[in-house]
This record gives sequence, structure tokens and C-alpha cells, in this order.
Amino acid sequence: MIVAVLLLAMQIHPWEGPGLTALLIVSIPIDIWALGLTARTYFLERHGLELEGPIGLALWWQGAVIVVAFGVASYFAVGAAVSVGKSLAASIIAGIKKLFPQFPIAEQITLELLLWSIPTVIVAVLVGAVALQVYGWRIKATVTSTGRRTTAPLSERVRRWDYARVPRDQGLLFISFAGVVVLLTIAFWIVLPVTTPHPSEEYKPKVAKVAKPMKPEEMLRQTETSLVQAEAVLHTLEQEKAKEKKEGKKPEHKGK
Amino acid sequence: MNAVAQKVYDFVDERIGLKSIETKMMNEPIKGGSRWAYVFGSVLLFIFIMQVVTGILLMFYYIPSADHAYASTQYILHEVDYGWFILSYHFWGSSAMVVIVFAHMSQVFLWGAYKKPREMVWLVGLALFGLVMAFGFTGYLLPWDQRAYWATTVGVEIMDKTPVVGDFLARFLKGGPTPGQMTLSRFFVIHVMVLPAALMGLAGLHLFFFRSAGPAGPFRGSTEELKVKTDFFFPRQVWKDIIAMAAVFLTISALALIEPVELLQEATPDPGDYHPEPEWYFLFLFQLLRWKMFSGELGQFMAAIAIPTLFMLLLAALPFIDRSPERDIFKRPVALVSWAVVMIGIVVLTISAILNREYLD
Repeated sequence: MIVAVLLLAMQIHPWEGPGLTALLIVSIPIDIWALGLTARTYFLERHGLELEGPIGLALWWQGAVIVVAFGVASYFAVGAAVSVGKSLAASIIAGIKKLFPQFPIAEQITLELLLWSIPTVIVAVLVGAVALQVYGWRIKATVTSTGRRTTAPLSERVRRWDYARVPRDQGLLFISFAGVVVLLTIAFWIVLPVTTPHPSEEYKPKVAKVAKPMKPEEMLRQTETSLVQAEAVLHTLEQEKAKEKKEGKKPEHKGK
Repeated sequence: MNAVAQKVYDFVDERIGLKSIETKMMNEPIKGGSRWAYVFGSVLLFIFIMQVVTGILLMFYYIPSADHAYASTQYILHEVDYGWFILSYHFWGSSAMVVIVFAHMSQVFLWGAYKKPREMVWLVGLALFGLVMAFGFTGYLLPWDQRAYWATTVGVEIMDKTPVVGDFLARFLKGGPTPGQMTLSRFFVIHVMVLPAALMGLAGLHLFFFRSAGPAGPFRGSTEELKVKTDFFFPRQVWKDIIAMAAVFLTISALALIEPVELLQEATPDPGDYHPEPEWYFLFLFQLLRWKMFSGELGQFMAAIAIPTLFMLLLAALPFIDRSPERDIFKRPVALVSWAVVMIGIVVLTISAILNREYLD
């Protein structure tokens, strides 16, 4: 779960390609450890059996074989139940519609769903129950061959069962747990994109025009230069006008 | 460092009696020992705290006005650093709260833990369930997009059908003839002030009643087994609670990453092509309202108000009707079948509502 969330934060989907491989690699040893621990504590408390050897691994590979075999069987059995159930439901609904042409759509959807989902669930539960039964037989056989009967009373068995699940040094456990949480939190926020990787078409950010910064000294200098230039142009124009007047040249009249 | 920590601890203990509080909190005996089935209450408290934290972070940017609510939510999603994740976590956290409330109520019902002497715990729990649903309803409007606007419009119209108080409630919530600024303001205040305060008070009361009556323990097992396995709240149940909280946190985070919140168009009084629909946990009720037998004024009242109210009243009366001390669910067939029928009904109607979308156009 932790690995899946970290992969998702990195925008890698854990159910495809490298994400799925990483998830499988991480989950296998955890599964083996959890199966071993559960089997040891359960059989110790309930049946007074002490299990020896790599019981987790033995139960894991048998479970994996059963899951694969029954997974395939379930795929075909449930698939067949869905298609048969749906066609049956459709014919029943068609029959009802002949009798009641105004049969409402909302009721029809619920009835159709019930008609095909109930047999499908029954088939899925049956396949699951058979798979569990087979796995139960395998567990029994494995445990009987590796288990050693203990004469310890129930209270002692419960105490050992209890300590096998929770370590004695609680302080150390809390510190290590908190440390892992802090490290994972830091890693999560580092890999998480700061802004959304899912931009919406409904959101058009307004691009604000950046105003040019005003520099008063430069503006004054520019204005002064413009004034000096304008003064020079005016002076030249006045000189030209005076020269024309002096020469007695008449101005040209356009239009009427 | 240890000496300093010890001195600080002693200082606080001398003033407020920290040791006795700690003993009371952690050394509560759990009959039959710790169990995974008991984690739901703690997980709900954790989700609520996370909703408060993410809600406060969202309030730093959210503007509760009809002119700016949509834009500010879009701003949170697209401009604020990590805003998209915080908002998505808050959104999925609300759904997680509903799921865990259902799980918690189911566990209490199946374990027969509502029976004497825990009737008060059950009644306050039902009130808390109502508050969680109210949180979902009021929070749904706040993004102010088409989905939010129309879900609220439909919800308030349904509320309007309640006899005597319906008209007042609908007018009070809307604050005008159509949902607008007044509606948003009222929903916002109820969502961020009224409901959290009520939930904190009732959750405290729930815990107080629970601690007074004590945990019910498992419904099966020999006296010797129960005696041997009886344990304190710390450390085993605490560890189970922590692991469950971590699993819930990671699930909500995964959902926020896989399906982050995306808004529809800004709310307008014209639904256009959009078909109004409530949040997924109200879909079963919504689908029930689509049934022909519940059409018309009376039918709508029956499906939207009468049946849910009667169901809640039946749940409230349950500890007083079911007085048998038997707690084993396999020896209470009526309870088991009733629970299964209600759960299957909710699931089937919810899926039907999703399938019904295809026929709306």
C-alpha cells in the first residue's frame, strides 16, 4: 500500500508496467512473513501446535498455486454465469414488458440487476468456498507434518501468541514506527507534484499584463531631451520662416 | 534528555494529574482482548481530525461567496501549492467517513453491542451518523459548480416535502427562492462551524458513555478464554488502531491521487445537459425516488422522508425492542437477515442509479 501510494505520487500507475512489478516484488516477502506469523500464532493458541521450519513459504507457494488455478476457473465460471444470467434476465424482462408495456425503466434496471447478479454471486461464492476448502486441506496436511504438540496451558499459549504479534519493547517500536512515518512523509511530499497534473478545461488562468517599472530620473531625463529636441525643431522652423519673409516669397494657397 | 523529559512530565503531572489520565485512557480493560473489529471508532476520530486539518488549509484560500467560490476552488486546484491534493484528500476523506460510519454501525449491530447497558452509546452514535451525512450534504455545495448547485437544489426540494418543518427548513437553508449567495453562506457556516462543534460535543459524549458502560467484548468464547485474553487498551489495541489509521490514510491518499477532484462548469440556474445527482452515498435514496410507485407528491414524501425517518426511528428504538441478552449474531437470525437485506438493498440501488445514467438522455 505504501509503495503503491509512493508510485502514484510519482505519477507511476502501480497496476501497470514497472509499478506492478515493484508492487509484486515488495508484496511477496511481506505475504510470506504474514502467513507464517498468522499460522504460528493461530495453531499455537487454538490447537496447541508449535510449527517449525519455513511454514510461511510452504503455505505461500501452495496458496499461490491454488489462487492461480481457481482464479482461472473463477474467470470462466463467473463469466459464464454473467452471460447466461444476463440473457435469462433479458428474456424475463421482455416477458414482463409484454404483459406490462409501461414497465418503468428504473424498476427494470434494478430487477434486471438482481436477476443476473444473484446467480453470479452464488457461483463466485461457491468457487471461493471450494478454493478455501482445498487450501484448508493443504494447510492441515502441512501443519500436521511440521507441527509439534505442546502441553502448555491456555494462558501460557495466549501469552506467547500475544508476544509473537506485538514486540516487548514498545518504546523502540514506537520510535522506529514514527521514524518510518516521518521518512515516508518526506519522500511523499518530495515526489508529489506541486501543481495539479490534471489541468481542467474549465479553468483558464488569467494572464495579467506586467506593468513596466517606473524610473522617475530616467523619465525626467527623457522629457528634458524631448523638450530640447522640440525647442531645436521650433527654432529651425522660426529661422526658416524669417528667411522666407526676408526673401519676400509669397506662401502658396491651396484650394479655393 | 530523558531527565529533562521526565522533569517536564512531572511538572505537568503535578498540576493536572497526567498519570491518572494516562492510566484511565490506556489501561481500559478490553474483554476478550484486542481485535481488528474494534478499530472503527478510533479510525473515525482520525478521519475527522484529518478533515479538520485539510478543511482549515482549504479555508485559507476558499471564498464563500457566489461570485468567488468557484474561482477560488479552481485556484486551489490549479495554483496553490499541493492544493489539488489537499482538496482531493478532503473530498475522499468525506466518503471514507461515510464508509467507516456504516462499518462501525454494522459492527455494533452484528456484535449486539447496542444492548443493555449500552443503549445511550447507540443513541448518541445514531446522532453522530446524522451529523456525518449532514457534513456530506453541506460540503457538497461549497465548490459552486453545476454538480454542487443541482445536488443541493434537489436535496433541499426533498427536504421541503417534510411535513410541518419542511417548508421552514428549505426556506432557512436556501435563504431565497433559488439557491444563491444566502444558501452558500448558510451551508458554509453550518459546514465549518455548527457541524464540527456539534460533532465534537457528541463524540465526547459518545466516548464518555462508552467508557462508562465499558466495551461489550466478543459475543462468543468460553469464560476461561475471555478471562485469559482480557487485555488493556495499550499496547495491542492501540497498535491495531494505528495500523488501521495508516491503512485508511493510505487508501484516501491513493484515491486522491488516482481520482483527484475536477470541477464541472460554474453553477448556473440552467442545468443545460447536466443531470442533477447527489453524492454517491445518497444515490440509493435517489434511485428509490425514480421508482414509479414513489412518483407524485405522496410517493416522493414516502421515499424521501417517511421511509428513512421510520428506519432511523426503528434503529433508535432497537435496544428497547430487542431486549434479549443474546449477542451471538448467528443465534439472532432476524437481525442477521435484516442487516443483509438493508446492505444488499443499498448496494443494488446504488449500482442501479449508476446504470440508470445511460437512460437519462
